[in-house]
Amino acid sequence: MKKQLAFYIDSRRCIGCFTCAMACKNQYHQPYGVIWRDVYELKEEIYPHRERAFYSLACNHCENPTCLNVCPVIAYYKREKDGVVVHEQDKCIGCGNCIRACPYGAPRYNPVLKRAEKCSFCWQRLDAGLKPACVLGCPTRALQIVDLAEFDEPNAVQYPAGFPRYPGLNPSVRFRLPAMPKMIRRKL
Amino acid sequence: MSEMQLPLVIFTVLSQTAVGLVVISAVRQHAAEGPVGRVRFEWLTAAILLLVGLGASLFHLGHPLGAPTALKHLGKAWLSREGLGIGVFTALVIAGFLSAKGRVNAALAFVAAAVGVIALFFTGMTYAPPSFPAVNNAMPIVFFLLTAAMLGAGFASYFTPAEKMPLVTRILAVSLVVGLVLYLAVPSLWLSGGTVMQQTGMNHLLSPLYWGRIVIGLVIPLIGIWKMRTVPSWAPVLILAGEIMGRIAFFSLTVHAASNLGGIY
Repeated sequence: MKKQLAFYIDSRRCIGCFTCAMACKNQYHQPYGVIWRDVYELKEEIYPHRERAFYSLACNHCENPTCLNVCPVIAYYKREKDGVVVHEQDKCIGCGNCIRACPYGAPRYNPVLKRAEKCSFCWQRLDAGLKPACVLGCPTRALQIVDLAEFDEPNAVQYPAGFPRYPGLNPSVRFRLPAMPKMIRRKL
Repeated sequence: MSEMQLPLVIFTVLSQTAVGLVVISAVRQHAAEGPVGRVRFEWLTAAILLLVGLGASLFHLGHPLGAPTALKHLGKAWLSREGLGIGVFTALVIAGFLSAKGRVNAALAFVAAAVGVIALFFTGMTYAPPSFPAVNNAMPIVFFLLTAAMLGAGFASYFTPAEKMPLVTRILAVSLVVGLVLYLAVPSLWLSGGTVMQQTGMNHLLSPLYWGRIVIGLVIPLIGIWKMRTVPSWAPVLILAGEIMGRIAFFSLTVHAASNLGGIY
């Protein structure tokens, strides 16, 4: 398998602090309402506990990206060296097709520039030998980058409950499931 | 799809009307005996519908001047193929209008009709992305074919001589019945799917747009045809209104997969 960078989301460690989302915002200063990374709380139907659990999600840099396939102006490309899906915003005509087509809601419409945009995996930082801003900002190391060609974590899950399953896209993301809380009850 | 997408509503409905109009015109001229009606005016109408639709479609682009670059990704992107298909179809319709002398040349008429149907298929594939589980299938193509059949037959009735009105009336009546059955059945099928599909089904069943389309665009025209045994002159207008309402519903009530992140799918 070729090198494919992926986000590893450790839901046991994630405390829902939104630092990853803020780090992304600080790095790129997107206009109000344009969010590349967001933190989603698991709904009670999936995680019915007093504790809460979260997924920090952005673009999954899929092996077979829908955004790339549907873009009529070829504004997307996938980097050979690490599998990062890059959006070239100057080519974008703002048709919104990628925004409609991505089942993970990664591309967003920038109303100021009138073009789509999405998480770039901070490829400029990667090329400089740095971590993406979100990964660097995470205070609990709940968000990490891994290379799927070498990743060998037996408990990692690609499609946990609460995350849409699209094998045809093969999203480059892995999760560690949140811990099940231990119930301690007093004997009567 | 969360927004009304009015430019796309206008573009898809009008271009599909033109496809239906051209297909029925080709059949009426060259596959049925008798007078052909006002063909030249009919093809002019189809060309105007296409040009208005194409003009409207530019308004959904952030950068309309970049529209010609949308043909760059013909190898993979259905939107590029749709642009090419509709463009070639429009050129053929204009050629048909300009060259028509009583009739449009048979080869040109049938090639235009075939290209129109292929372009409609491309449009259907464009609006069937994986992100909308309820329509990530053949349903958009079926919906769009029905639009072409209903509005094509409806508007063709304005250009059809009395001798051939029974043919056009039958096509329209059958299309309306099929449309009525399909549009009543589809939301209940969505209710048997996953959470996002169920939300799409419920959105439709609880929407005045959906029921308005059923009554205004399908039931009332069917009753009119049944009572008058022909296509009443007001029927195509009501069908057009119904199709516009239905297309707004298609774009605004279909739920995106990402709307339920963190929940059950």
